[in-house]
Amino acid sequence: MMRTVTLANRGGATYEVDARRPLLDALREQGVDLPYGCQYGGCITCAARLTAGTVNQSAQVALNNRQITDGYVILCVARPTTDITLEIGVESHHKLYRNPFTDPLEPHELKADIATPEA
Amino acid sequence: MDGACCGPGYASPAEAMKAPREKLLYTIAIYTGTGIQKPDYLATIDNDPDSPTYSQVISRCEMPGIGDELHHMGWNACSSCFDDASMTRKYLIVPGVRSTNLHIIDCATDPRNPTLFKVIDGAEIKARTNLSAPHTIHCLGSEIIISMLGDAQGNAPGGYLHLDKDFNILGRWENSMGEIKFGYDFWYQPRHNVMVSSEWAAPNTFMPGFDLEEVGHLKYGREIHLWDFEKREPKQTFYLGEDGLIPLEVRFHHDPDSTHGFVGAALSANIIHWWRDDAGEWQWEKIVDVGNEPHPDWPIPVPGVISVILLSMDDKYLYLCNWLHGDIRQYDISDPHNARLTGQVWMGGLLNKAPEVNGVKVTGGPQMIQLSLDGKRLYVTTSLFSTWDNQFYPEIRTNGGCMLMVNCDTENGGMEIDPDFVVDFGAEPNGPSRCHETRYPGGDCTSDIWL
Repeated sequence: MMRTVTLANRGGATYEVDARRPLLDALREQGVDLPYGCQYGGCITCAARLTAGTVNQSAQVALNNRQITDGYVILCVARPTTDITLEIGVESHHKLYRNPFTDPLEPHELKADIATPEA
Repeated sequence: MDGACCGPGYASPAEAMKAPREKLLYTIAIYTGTGIQKPDYLATIDNDPDSPTYSQVISRCEMPGIGDELHHMGWNACSSCFDDASMTRKYLIVPGVRSTNLHIIDCATDPRNPTLFKVIDGAEIKARTNLSAPHTIHCLGSEIIISMLGDAQGNAPGGYLHLDKDFNILGRWENSMGEIKFGYDFWYQPRHNVMVSSEWAAPNTFMPGFDLEEVGHLKYGREIHLWDFEKREPKQTFYLGEDGLIPLEVRFHHDPDSTHGFVGAALSANIIHWWRDDAGEWQWEKIVDVGNEPHPDWPIPVPGVISVILLSMDDKYLYLCNWLHGDIRQYDISDPHNARLTGQVWMGGLLNKAPEVNGVKVTGGPQMIQLSLDGKRLYVTTSLFSTWDNQFYPEIRTNGGCMLMVNCDTENGGMEIDPDFVVDFGAEPNGPSRCHETRYPGGDCTSDIWL
């Protein structure tokens, strides 16, 4: 199954990718210059922002629930389940990083393994 | 030059202190997490005051790929093989925390222009040892062990990777991790058959950044561990509790006969001292407690966040950095039970005490430090870890890191920032990079252990 990926902050460029493969691999092979680190879903370096469509990123363990709510996806493990639109690179990271002392997380915003359901 | 006898290093800490002044510095610099799509690199800095390129980066050894996040590094050989004429201090082992790749860099063939000798692929390390996220490197006689902070999926506690002197993977060094929950730094003191290890967190916890709430969920360390070094297994744990949240850098006295050692608890901003008492029991106590400081924009006072500690080669002074406050402190620990503050300087930090030093805007705070063997020059860099930098000091993305030098009074105590030395990594040719750990060709105050 092929899906179309639109890169909103690369002039709307589109790429056809194999939905069985991680987006990082599929896009890099077509020449998209993307950051990455651990390549197993644990380190956030490759995070991008999903603005349309859906992905399966069940293998990621790096994002907390607030980051997921804000649309972040971990490209090294995420696979598209529909056609999608992404913002890539650090330009998309404006909501990814926060000062943990001045902007604490609510219990439901923690990582999935320790989050409590929203009251 | 390394010593009159046989192998690398020095016969004793006292001999090391007589070594010639360091004229080259090696520091890693990262682009991982910065938005610049370039490899991380090992920077060589000219540190000869008589040279026209003093205080400048004179060469850059790039890694083969992007995304490693170079962090700490270690020599293939140190004073632990001083009696072995077949060994030389030739290679720096430079790991990528995120990639798990180990880069072996030849620094001896041309010390001013190190070159990549070999790469041990992270995928091979994961496949053969189920370990990832390399951190601290120590040589043990002719072999090398590396603390690995996670398993191949980034879960704690990881273990220790064992390499032979030719950088072949021997497997796991430890026989057991016991009940240890997390890994980070370690140091061994062979005359007492002891190793001490500390705790950061699982790679999957700390690599994405710092969620403070995860401390309360016990996702970060608060224990240190004493090992039976020959049996390669932990035998005693000190639960440090609230006094020891996130214990990071571990430093034994350099004196190989001493049982005294210290660890900096980053989040508690305390220094913990341990020793073996006259009855043969290991003890610990808190000897420094850095208070939190008010900040106009923060709902709670700012903790110091002690990101590193280091001991002078004569074991007289302990240095620490408060990465969030922005100060480096010097304590006289001649009596290791009673640390006495003898010096303090400011650079960067969140308290706005010294936003600019030597004409360079300091983004970040004092972070990694390295001291000259004679104890007189302390080199300081400002970046901690890409994701944590991005949280606390987001301007570092455009400003980069920097390196400064602090002159230390070894007789009476005291510190002053050297006005003539600054390396601005914001001005690097490929764009702003961030510098972290520093080492010297002849060994330094965190590289060598005496058998």
